[in-house]
Amino acid sequence: MKRKNNQLPELPPQAKHHMGIKARNAISNTFIHILLVIITIIWLVPFVCIILQSFRVESTHMVGYVIPKDWGLDNYIALFDTDFPKWYINTLVTAIITALLQTVIVLCMSYTLSRFRFKGRKLLMRFMLILGMFPGMLTMIILYRVLKDIGMTEANAVPGLILVYIASSGMGYYVSKGFFDTIPKSLDEAARIDGATRFQILTKVILPLAKPIVIYTILTAFMAPWGDFVFARYVSMNVSSGMNVAVGLFSWLNKDMIDGRYTMFCAAGVLVALPVALLFIFLQKYYVEGVTGGAVKG
Amino acid sequence: MASVKLTNVKKVYDKKVVAVSDFNLEIADKEFVVFVGPSGCGKSTTLRMIAGLEEITDGTIEIDGVVVNDLQPKDRNIAMVFQNYALYPHMTVYDNIAFSLRIKKLPEDEIYQKVTHAAEVLGISEYLLRKPRALSGGQRQRVAIGRAMVRDSKVFLMDEPLSNLDAKLRNQMRAEIILLREQLDTTFVYVTHDQTEAMTLGDRIVIMKDGYVQQIGTPEEVFEKPENLFVAEFIGAPKMNIMKTQLLIENGKYYVTPFGSKIEVDGENGALLKEKEIKGGEIILGVRPEHIVLADESAENTINGSVMVNEMMGSELHLHIKTEDGTKIIARTPTVNLSHEERFQLKSGHPVHLTFPSKVMYFFDPETEKNLIY
Amino acid sequence: MKKYSDLEYLRLPKWKRFLYAVICFFVGIPGSILGLFKKIGLGIVKFLTGIKNEFVDIGTTFTNGDWKTKVSFFIMGFGNIARGQILRGLLFFIFEVVFIVYMIFAGSYWLSMLPSLGLRGPEVVYDPIYDAYVTEYFDNSFKILLYGVLTLFFIIALIYTWRINIKQNKISEQIIRSGKKLRSGKDDLRSLVDDQFHKTLLALPLTGIIVFTMMPIVFMILVAFTNYDGAHNGFSNNLFTWVGLDNFNSLLSWSNGEVSYAATFGEVLTWTLIWAFFATFTNYFLGMLVAMMINKKGIRIKKFWRTCLVFTIAVPQFISLLYVSKMFANNGLINGFLLNLGLIEKALPFWTDTTWARITVIIINIWIGIPYLMLIATGILMNIPKDLYESAKVDGAGPFMQYTKITLPYMLFVTGPYLLTSFTSNMNNFNVIYLLTGGAPTSTLPSPGGNLGDTDLLITWLFKLTTFEEAKYYMASVIGILVFIVVAIISLVVYNLLPSTKNEEDFQ
Repeated sequence: MKRKNNQLPELPPQAKHHMGIKARNAISNTFIHILLVIITIIWLVPFVCIILQSFRVESTHMVGYVIPKDWGLDNYIALFDTDFPKWYINTLVTAIITALLQTVIVLCMSYTLSRFRFKGRKLLMRFMLILGMFPGMLTMIILYRVLKDIGMTEANAVPGLILVYIASSGMGYYVSKGFFDTIPKSLDEAARIDGATRFQILTKVILPLAKPIVIYTILTAFMAPWGDFVFARYVSMNVSSGMNVAVGLFSWLNKDMIDGRYTMFCAAGVLVALPVALLFIFLQKYYVEGVTGGAVKG
Repeated sequence: MASVKLTNVKKVYDKKVVAVSDFNLEIADKEFVVFVGPSGCGKSTTLRMIAGLEEITDGTIEIDGVVVNDLQPKDRNIAMVFQNYALYPHMTVYDNIAFSLRIKKLPEDEIYQKVTHAAEVLGISEYLLRKPRALSGGQRQRVAIGRAMVRDSKVFLMDEPLSNLDAKLRNQMRAEIILLREQLDTTFVYVTHDQTEAMTLGDRIVIMKDGYVQQIGTPEEVFEKPENLFVAEFIGAPKMNIMKTQLLIENGKYYVTPFGSKIEVDGENGALLKEKEIKGGEIILGVRPEHIVLADESAENTINGSVMVNEMMGSELHLHIKTEDGTKIIARTPTVNLSHEERFQLKSGHPVHLTFPSKVMYFFDPETEKNLIY
Repeated sequence: MKKYSDLEYLRLPKWKRFLYAVICFFVGIPGSILGLFKKIGLGIVKFLTGIKNEFVDIGTTFTNGDWKTKVSFFIMGFGNIARGQILRGLLFFIFEVVFIVYMIFAGSYWLSMLPSLGLRGPEVVYDPIYDAYVTEYFDNSFKILLYGVLTLFFIIALIYTWRINIKQNKISEQIIRSGKKLRSGKDDLRSLVDDQFHKTLLALPLTGIIVFTMMPIVFMILVAFTNYDGAHNGFSNNLFTWVGLDNFNSLLSWSNGEVSYAATFGEVLTWTLIWAFFATFTNYFLGMLVAMMINKKGIRIKKFWRTCLVFTIAVPQFISLLYVSKMFANNGLINGFLLNLGLIEKALPFWTDTTWARITVIIINIWIGIPYLMLIATGILMNIPKDLYESAKVDGAGPFMQYTKITLPYMLFVTGPYLLTSFTSNMNNFNVIYLLTGGAPTSTLPSPGGNLGDTDLLITWLFKLTTFEEAKYYMASVIGILVFIVVAIISLVVYNLLPSTKNEEDFQ
């Protein structure tokens, strides 16, 4: 017995190939690097194509090749003869106002549901969960009619859109409530003992700590209006001056327009995507914090 | 500076879980009272009710003669130190301590005076511009205390303030809290699960279990005259040895018979048993480890056993001893009394003979677990 | 089924343990569904006893109350004003006055028309002044339904406020009897930024949700029981009216002769579920894989890879998806590229063949969806305690074992609820389908209208039903309700079976 104890213990399987670990790791890492390069190319190809096509000036319709034969800024210049600048401003205004107001509402909602224990709180959350199971698309019909009655459609679509975006934004409290839940409650309690009112606790203690989620909320609220072509199309009702970029550009790709407007669509797409994407990439860190928090909290 | 009075205080969660029941206590001005008990006994809940962080289901709490049941924490004029410190992570140490003063809208000059004074007392002056993240556990604890200090409040509440610190730091901070108390000269309510902290800090100790108060008394009282088995076991380390045994009465003398031995109960305890007319029969006998004596040889009044584990603590040995029927008894023996040889002998398996004088015995009713003589 | 004790279970071979777990799961389903019904039943009982108690309380408040309380039963806020709480009392009183005025001048009309949805449609009449026939418009079914619902909400709000008003009288009396002081209007206002701060914070968001989400949903549920469509728009052509369950009948029953859409609905629902399943799980596993690849020790420029992938989130979908849709068109880039290389002889039918189209949308959805999952998985993977892996390595587990024994169970546990919501939101993933295919290729199945396609989900079908000229709003509503029912059932069942139905307070 004693002798056996003096022998080396049996090695775990992978340690037997001790010398091979480094080499194997290097091989698998090289393999993964190659795979990542391929994935990245696949992911970026469509975007590169859009950019390249937007500089194509020899023809305006869809073609089966990528690299333009003649390069130029014609497509971008031509955009200014269309309603595109108007759409762009419409969308920008909508996005900025929505982002600000929606953030306020979402924060009010999520802070309350995270921090206060009032009667009916659970009921309220369950109720909103159930409301959220109805396809939101259904409500468009009536919202459109109501907006039309108060004169917020067609050319006046922008205020109407903003109103509707903001009004139901309280439903999207979930992610930021998850974030608020991670801020220790003892901070609130300490502040209450220190004499702060609930309002002061929110502004002086919680909000400074919730910076990531505030930015996340602003960012997502800002990005949403750029992509809405369903309700926005309903509300603008074919009146060009009330359209946002999505609705306007969408119409360029229907059968009658596509041949003349395809490269211009690409150019407009670049102009729309550029600021939004840059903003997103720039604030990526906060988006990740928000989206992870929300998913983990379920 | 104020007294605190709790009358029939009760806390029920969700209409079913009873956290605290029938809590009655009067805390005198400038008194240091410690709530102690195992986790879930309701001590923190009681403290939080005094602070106003939990609603009071029933009963009243008065601070300085004013019923505070419906007052917000900020209107009760209390200060509190939290277990996890609850420092505002985005503020510097200075801003943390100044927070409550700014809420009160004191002039910046006065705030400066108060904060720097508190920092000096606590020895954190050089960290005033750091964020809590950059501080060690002990420093954070000091900031938390500083934040409570500057408020000049009537009552100082502390919720397990030392339990997040390591053992060495805890001893050091315990001593500092004693000093702090002398400086502040205010009423303290302190919650802990650690009986050592309770014994060393408190003027009076409130021992709780399952929401009920078990005993209220000075450290000496709860140590020497525990009202029931729970208190007896909870106070003192290692905990008291408990033996189910018979109480015999022969010729007007009381005897206990643990593990086949027969030890006479004489002196004061014997007199008290007689005075209370305790009848013979089954009882629970308690003896603290430090009162168990090693006898040289087996006799009628010794319990025979053998050493299981010998823990060398430096100034004393903790002997875990197995009696003949397999029950475990712990004895604390000062090393001073033992020769080097004896110490060497007390290894696992070594036979030992234990005994104890009657003045260190505790007697409990096996049914009610109440102390029979106090 | 045999139940194993813990010790017996430990002696079972691995596959039997697995089998046992599976059997337990399925055996547990009826129980948990039964439990669900029990819960619902208990909820109903609780609700009814609650209502009973309310009535009892109202009664005793009246009989035991003083005269101020009794008057408050009829004049809301009277008790508050009489006891010195002017502000509260005035608010109650004003609310009552507004309600009465509204009911007299408008509410009663809308309410009375609600059962019929309008009696007199547009009529062509001779106008002597202009000497011509003009159309005159009378009742408006749409408005009747809308304002009828609104009035009902108003009545409910009044009843609720009235109840609060009575409760407050009772409480005030108690407070006065115990010799304490009532809160003044100033106290009330101050408490709105302190202990009643939640009311202030919720007021605006909840109003928005009630008016712009809840009421429209109630309205559209009601539409499902009418014949509201393009030909009966309730005002300018024909009134619409209640038709009971006819719409459900024509969508769901097989025995309805020519106009049965049951087969269509079944087909679309099946495809919706298949789509949601693949869209969720392909993204989930591939996203996790990509996240693990990027997170692996020794991989360089991690941030660069992540940023590149994240472009599909950053660029608005209508640009990226529309463009990709054109790339895959018969005359698009992909086909052009392959034709030029001579790999194929005629264009691949990406959007023109049903199977091709369905597979293509799932694949392109991977392109859109992986980055989200990658971000989420990255965060979670970093949270898995390192010592789990270390102890697994010491026990001799290889990378694959580590994945199946640690990473995957941990991920599944933590993201269980996320998977559920992701499944249901994929069922309603309008953007991907609508932008990529628009539903194409055209379906051969009968549809109430709207040019149904083979890649259409329930949600895009619903949308199409509301947009063409003879919009079948009632059918869209029926489909919306059915989508709700499907989503609710899936959520309820899955949520009750999830191991990680977590307690919210655990995190705090």
